[in-house]
Amino acid sequence: MIEAFFEGLLLVLQWKAFAFMLLGIVLGFWVGLLPGLGGTTTLALMLPFIYAMQPIEGFAFLLGMHAVVATTGDITSVLFGVPDEGTTAATILDGHAMAKKGEAGRALGAVLASSLVGALVGAIALALAVPVVRPLVLSFGSPELFMIAIVGLAFIASLSASGARGMMRGFLVGGLGLMVATIGQDPQAGVARYTFDVLYLWNGIDLVPVLIGIFAIPEIIDLAVRGTSIAGELPKGSLNKGAFEGVKDTFRHFWLTIRCSLIGTFIGIMPGLGGAVSQWMAYGHAAQSARTDEERRGFGQGDVRGVLGPGAANNSKEGGALIPTVAFGVPGSSSMAILLGGFFVLGLAPGPDMLTKHLTVTFSMVWTIVLANVITVVACFLLLNHLARLTTVRGQLLIPVIVVLIFIGAYTGNNHYGDIIVMLVFGAVGWLMVVGGWPRAPFVLGLVLGKIAENYLYISVARYETAWLTRPIVLVLIALAIAVILYPLIQSRRSRMKEAARHA
Amino acid sequence: MHNKASLALAGAIMVCAGFAVYAASSWPWKAALFPIAIGIPVFCLAAAEVIWSLVGSGDSERAMDFEMSADVPAPVAMRRTVLTVAWMVGFFAAIALIGFPYAVPLFVFLYLRLQGREGWIFSLLFGAAVWLFFYLVFDRLLHLPFPAGWIF
Repeated sequence: MIEAFFEGLLLVLQWKAFAFMLLGIVLGFWVGLLPGLGGTTTLALMLPFIYAMQPIEGFAFLLGMHAVVATTGDITSVLFGVPDEGTTAATILDGHAMAKKGEAGRALGAVLASSLVGALVGAIALALAVPVVRPLVLSFGSPELFMIAIVGLAFIASLSASGARGMMRGFLVGGLGLMVATIGQDPQAGVARYTFDVLYLWNGIDLVPVLIGIFAIPEIIDLAVRGTSIAGELPKGSLNKGAFEGVKDTFRHFWLTIRCSLIGTFIGIMPGLGGAVSQWMAYGHAAQSARTDEERRGFGQGDVRGVLGPGAANNSKEGGALIPTVAFGVPGSSSMAILLGGFFVLGLAPGPDMLTKHLTVTFSMVWTIVLANVITVVACFLLLNHLARLTTVRGQLLIPVIVVLIFIGAYTGNNHYGDIIVMLVFGAVGWLMVVGGWPRAPFVLGLVLGKIAENYLYISVARYETAWLTRPIVLVLIALAIAVILYPLIQSRRSRMKEAARHA
Repeated sequence: MHNKASLALAGAIMVCAGFAVYAASSWPWKAALFPIAIGIPVFCLAAAEVIWSLVGSGDSERAMDFEMSADVPAPVAMRRTVLTVAWMVGFFAAIALIGFPYAVPLFVFLYLRLQGREGWIFSLLFGAAVWLFFYLVFDRLLHLPFPAGWIF
């Protein structure tokens, strides 16, 4: 096994495979910066090009490209508050808030360093987990996966705002997200739900235009209202500092970064949950790490931990998602489903063979993830000061460019004008949420989890009736959901009691 | 403003959730299970938020999210918000009428000239540069299908 491990590295370092990986990195780097065009679209666009390649070269190209899209997508989120796709939206909350405070360099440094740590953790997990992951994945059926979705939602809804009313709003918008996810043809009975005879709505509401609307439009409006650059009126040279500070933040909160990386890896392994869920759960966990109410209120206002958590989880999920794809041929996400297509194009059958006969190919994937991330992070650090300076460009020049990009980004959801209307409608909803002081994160998670949760709930009820509620892992997850809801309330009560005791 | 936005949002969600539950009640249980299971608690939470907004005291709860800048006077902020929304709606109308390839440079040029009060030459050059980027990346490289507008 050790031999195969190092042989995998040597195969990736062969000049042809390495050159294809670099080409993939360059493509992924730039596509990641474009809103709406995420890793999945890029993989789909580039899949036909691997026909003539050898397996190692093909995977170096595809994985090299896919591994960096998430990293550069986070850069757009931090600098402009525009999400690349679902997997980079959580970085906006604190990353863009930091950019607006003139800490773009620090936020970028933090997101890049945590991305690298996350990618390494994901790659190590992929290398280590292959022999032991089978019983873990097989012990999680539909009831357990449904409960993971519920825990994720409870997690973010209870932590995304302070106080009882804030928590109520968290659950309300989370529920709204789940409701919006029910729009479209129902997968069980084929009923067209809330489609109002509009053909566009039959496929449901696409995540990309909703995300762009709900996050980018309020930011654009705020930029226009302020009439300044993103970073406001800052003294010259203040942006260039801080990138190294962001790296130091990663090591200052190293265990948080590792924990969030593990969350990303775990969610990546679970089929169907996807990258957006892992980022939001990591964000929730980062917010949970706040010791006091006061500290928690800093989240969303530019707390670096709110950047580190999602940054790490976003990249660690790739290694995790590859585990079921490689070992069982069960793709954990849509991008992994496309990658699975790549296996067949290259003449490989995912499954036990990948752990025996083609073990070197599997390890070459691990090395591709590691090398691609290291190269991207180093390249990004070289460009970092220039990137951070974009936040000092006058808003009047940025706004038309961002508007053009978000319109094209939203349109790519289904290549339909309906996507733009959806973006504008959810832009209005997002603006009302921000003005009203409502959290947006639970809505996104609800929308992401809606279809998954409904499918797993239906299968659980149809297969086990009510008995699914008594399965041991389900019981543990129910207890975890209750604890997640009660924890901030208990913490808040404790803080108030301490405060009262101090004044007494 | 804070409370009015909350009230408007909660009211709209309450109406939508009520409609969602009502519409789902006529579907087969397989299709109705999830919308009803979600719609009823959402309706109740939205109703509670509406009542809280109407009778509650000043809203001190804050989301873990960014807040709109408060440095600009409210009437100016509202005017700029309406203007920005109008530009976006106008851009969408232009896309529908003349298609992406023409609407993109036209929007950038008009925005810079009329809203940004930039010079003619700068606005023209900037509009042309954005169009070139759009053409090279989205049309030539990524081959995204952009349909023609209703006029041309």
